[in-house]
Amino acid sequence: MRLAEHCLTCSDAAVTAIVVEVAGDTALVVVDGRRERVAVELVTPVEPGDVLLCHAGIALERLP
Amino acid sequence: MKYVDEFRSGQLAQKLARELEGLVEPGRVVRIMEVCGGHTHTIYKHGLEDLVPDEVDFLHGPGCPVCVIPMGRVDDAIALAERPEVIFTTFGDMLRVPGGRGSLLEAKARGADVRMVYSPLDALELARANPDREVVFFAIGFETTAPATALTLLRARATGVRNFSAFCNHVTIAPPLRAILDSPGLRLDGFIAPGHVSTVVGTRPYDFIARDYGKPVVVTAFEPIDVLHAVVMLLRQFRDGRCEVENQYTRVVRRDGNPRALAVLAETMELRDTFEWRGLGWIEGSALRLRPEFADWDAEARFELPGARVEDPKACQCGEVLVGAIKPRECRVFGTACTPERPIGTCMVSSEGACAAYYNYGRLTRRREPARA
Repeated sequence: MRLAEHCLTCSDAAVTAIVVEVAGDTALVVVDGRRERVAVELVTPVEPGDVLLCHAGIALERLP
Repeated sequence: MKYVDEFRSGQLAQKLARELEGLVEPGRVVRIMEVCGGHTHTIYKHGLEDLVPDEVDFLHGPGCPVCVIPMGRVDDAIALAERPEVIFTTFGDMLRVPGGRGSLLEAKARGADVRMVYSPLDALELARANPDREVVFFAIGFETTAPATALTLLRARATGVRNFSAFCNHVTIAPPLRAILDSPGLRLDGFIAPGHVSTVVGTRPYDFIARDYGKPVVVTAFEPIDVLHAVVMLLRQFRDGRCEVENQYTRVVRRDGNPRALAVLAETMELRDTFEWRGLGWIEGSALRLRPEFADWDAEARFELPGARVEDPKACQCGEVLVGAIKPRECRVFGTACTPERPIGTCMVSSEGACAAYYNYGRLTRRREPARA
């Protein structure tokens, strides 16, 4: 299940992702049960368990 | 599931619908434009149009970046893709958008190396893996997507990847709204503003709408309860005689947006003097290009492009749909000559487009008699 599955400003969706691990400016996250890597420069510092709003391979914001 | 279930509660939706019944003036139609195609889809997928009182009329705005790309830019993209040294990368929705010379998908069928990516960072990886090729990324999207391109450019520069470039078509949200507000014969009472663009830019860019044009704005998230809540917030403003920019999406959107995202945008891109929008024409200061410091990664600086202006097909009324002048089903080719399988106009191509929403969710004919204005 995705949050905001329809804001496809580009055919990609802004989705919530849960951080699993962080390595530098990239985090391994779980989205929809899938594991993906996203750039986290815009929301650092992040740590495992954080919930991020992601779009087109980057994290745009963190959710409370 | 957190952030989903509570925003899809049928009980809560009924409660909001009842509140709306009490907020409308019987027979007086309020016209609300949802700027973002994501909201259009929420409204139709979840049947919100059937839930709100007849007096609430949704108009669909220009917030689908696929829908507003003019045909000439698609032709430029195809010209890039047809260069033998180029691997042309794009988000999936752009593949089928028709230009004057067909679509990128057709170019791919003719032999062009066109590949779909989910992120410009994937395109950068492709460039690293193919050092003997030129990887070009078709950068489209509002301020939601532009930071991904910006971060990719910064990473390309930092890691010395020289065979990556962006064909920049990023657009900005406020200028087209001003263009709509300036259009003659405007019949519009308020805006549902896009949540994810606002995650980046904040709510300040909409202030002029309330201040200078007297139309209230509610920045809104994308679940059905969010959209209903936004309609309630707008109608409360009408009832109270207020005209403000309100934020419904407080769980993510802040007044000043994400300053770090705005900083990477400012570092890599600058406003174009003008840019052509499908249906809206040329709008000053409405799009971004790469800064001269990033010319080495700018496809427009590195490759020669045709740059021709291509008129929209005569039968296509996407322009009128994009400014809310007509409903998709009122277009003369909707659902007949123009379908998602064989689209004529961009609003039918993109999964975000208003015409695709009407078609996919069965809004083929007028469901209800409009309340008298």
